[in-house]
Amino acid sequence: MIRYWPALVSVLLSIAAIAGYATLLRVPAIRNHPELYLLVFAAAAGIAGAATWRAARWPNFVALGLSVVLLILGGYFNFVLAKIPPAAAVLRVGEPAPDFTLPDASGAAVSLASFRERTPVVLVFYRGYW
Amino acid sequence: MTELGDQGVQILAISPDPNEKSQELARKLHARYRFLTDQDLAVTRRYGLLHAHGGHKGQDVARPTTVVLDRRGVVRWLELADSIQIRPDPIDVARAVRQLPQ
Repeated sequence: MIRYWPALVSVLLSIAAIAGYATLLRVPAIRNHPELYLLVFAAAAGIAGAATWRAARWPNFVALGLSVVLLILGGYFNFVLAKIPPAAAVLRVGEPAPDFTLPDASGAAVSLASFRERTPVVLVFYRGYW
Repeated sequence: MTELGDQGVQILAISPDPNEKSQELARKLHARYRFLTDQDLAVTRRYGLLHAHGGHKGQDVARPTTVVLDRRGVVRWLELADSIQIRPDPIDVARAVRQLPQ
């Protein structure tokens, strides 16, 4: 099986890309650059493609099939499923943010205006419903 | 992000999900890090941050966004994600806060 080492490298690259992205998801440099896993899938596909070109044997086809499927699925997720449609801009740098009052985890009302003249505020909107 | 709290910055984390974070977790994190619930997404909508049907079950959710406001409530730094995978790097947020006029 040693002569199919390109196929093995290709499959290991694909697995490493998935495992790496999943485990390093908390690292901003990894999470905010999902195109990295697409690049690795493409490299795996390239290696498997070259191997298949030189020797049309089943291990090379398997590696090629795996990396191409991952590239297509990953590309569909990254460029289609994960995308948020553009929205009308309400917030603008240099303009005041709309005031609001919302309950915190204990039910107490928190008003944005209450922090004015006291502290800067960082608002983090997140999806919820994980 | 808790170092920002130490610098006297208030962090307000807003989502439509009231069960997302327990009171205990909010207390543990820091007095200056509070989880707010925007259950009907009214504030999210007013801020133009609604992602219609963006949730796993098709429910409306907020698009991940970080906004830095100065002491006068004026927007000084803004990062809207165009993908659900992106979250702003806390280092970028901290830098934006440090550059606020005192």
